[in-house]
Amino acid sequence: MALASPITPVTPATAPPSWNPLKFRGTPLPTELLILVKVLALVVLLVNHVRILPDPWLPFVPGVDRIPPILFQRTLQTVFVTCALALLFNRRVRLASLVIGATMLIAVVSSKAYYGNNKTFCALMFFLTGLYVPGRKPWMLQWQLGLTYFGAGLNKLLDADWHSGVFFENWAVNRLHQPWYMALNSVLPPMVLARLMCWSTIVTELAVVPAIFIRRFQPWAAYANILFQSGLLLFTGSTFTLFFYSMSAASLAFVTWPAEPVTVGYDIDSGLVNRIRKVLQFCDADRRFCWTPHSRDVGDWFHLPIGNRVYTNFRALRMMVLLNPITYLAIATLIAPVADVPAAAAYRRVVVGSCLFFLMPALAWIADRILGRRQPVRLATTGVANRVTDI
Amino acid sequence: MLRTAIPVALFVFQLGAIVYARFVPTRYFCWAPYDTQTDYVATATVNGKKLTSAEFRQRYRRPPRGFDNRAPQHVFDMLEQVEQKRSRPGDAAAIVVKYRVNGKELREWRWPPPSHP
Repeated sequence: MALASPITPVTPATAPPSWNPLKFRGTPLPTELLILVKVLALVVLLVNHVRILPDPWLPFVPGVDRIPPILFQRTLQTVFVTCALALLFNRRVRLASLVIGATMLIAVVSSKAYYGNNKTFCALMFFLTGLYVPGRKPWMLQWQLGLTYFGAGLNKLLDADWHSGVFFENWAVNRLHQPWYMALNSVLPPMVLARLMCWSTIVTELAVVPAIFIRRFQPWAAYANILFQSGLLLFTGSTFTLFFYSMSAASLAFVTWPAEPVTVGYDIDSGLVNRIRKVLQFCDADRRFCWTPHSRDVGDWFHLPIGNRVYTNFRALRMMVLLNPITYLAIATLIAPVADVPAAAAYRRVVVGSCLFFLMPALAWIADRILGRRQPVRLATTGVANRVTDI
Repeated sequence: MLRTAIPVALFVFQLGAIVYARFVPTRYFCWAPYDTQTDYVATATVNGKKLTSAEFRQRYRRPPRGFDNRAPQHVFDMLEQVEQKRSRPGDAAAIVVKYRVNGKELREWRWPPPSHP
């Protein structure tokens, strides 16, 4: 059996950014923020958002409607598409992000017909990423998410229809015709489920706010954000235009990608493991993983040390999928281009539900408990290739 | 410096909008998405002629029958401001909107307002 040689890492940090949209190295933005803006750029292109960029019409800012409408609209559209493409192809990413965000913000304030929370939030994600200072934490993206949840939670908290459940009852029954809700509602006392849904929404939105601002709770805030937004999509089948994408993507402001390629140990004696490795290597456009074979005696199929943590087997596999930026482009590509037809809601639910099922920690943890090999006790050491030593 | 000042200014503006929303019926820039469901049916008559659905949509950029997932005042704002700012001189428009907020009792909004001369 041939030994697979470790792949030579890597694009040097000083190399110019690649034109390949599947690569995420070499730009002034850290990987996590580049994923954020590239996913949103891909989404706005896939949903053809450019077609609804407005001419000035009942603007929030007086005087904007004196600009010739066709000139205004065509300028916005041209700049918007140019910047979205620049982001996808790794060209001047901070500037492109700033300008596309500014373009959307101008569109928002220049037309009441275009105005929407989803467009405003997406615009701010672009714009604030464009203001990112290299080497610092993206605090402004985190604050923006916190402020959004605070505004949403407070408005509901002070609304009598949210206290009584009237909002949810009407929305779920008369507007969405949500079958799960109606089935469960029919066996419970009136308004109990509606109140429960309203209050759990209020509590979630307001509880996320301090978690966002307190550093040690930030991982929980990111998880809660993803679960809450995914829950909304699973319940409604809707992405609320750009809201699902931009709110979910905001969670990337709370994570930090490993700066250097990480070493993955894999069982050279297993055919299945080798096939999985080849697929993962093929999808690893940035060469983020440095593959190192080990014999079956080591005990793990996959072995992935990152920082002071070691992931093995299914948990390692999950982490490799999560650490590959292409994963996020793939998820966006699966959801965004689907037209708004009745079957689309079911399709979106299946995609998002599958992503949660496979990518949240629970499945990998359970799979490792049931199927994982007995693991030798080991000590992770730093240094050359993050070598792992059995003790 | 600007990279800090601009985000801070944006956050202050949004905080101001959140506070301001407590005193007005509109919910612009204060992060209240999908907090209210308004279903409405609107009819408009301009210079004695009742607008068709297509004419209504062209004039007000929204359908004459539909839903809005924000405060009802957002719907009225658009209708009212079209008549105040974008209608041709001499146009006499009358709009009636029958609407429900979160499925509750039917209400009515009119333009011009009943007290209008």
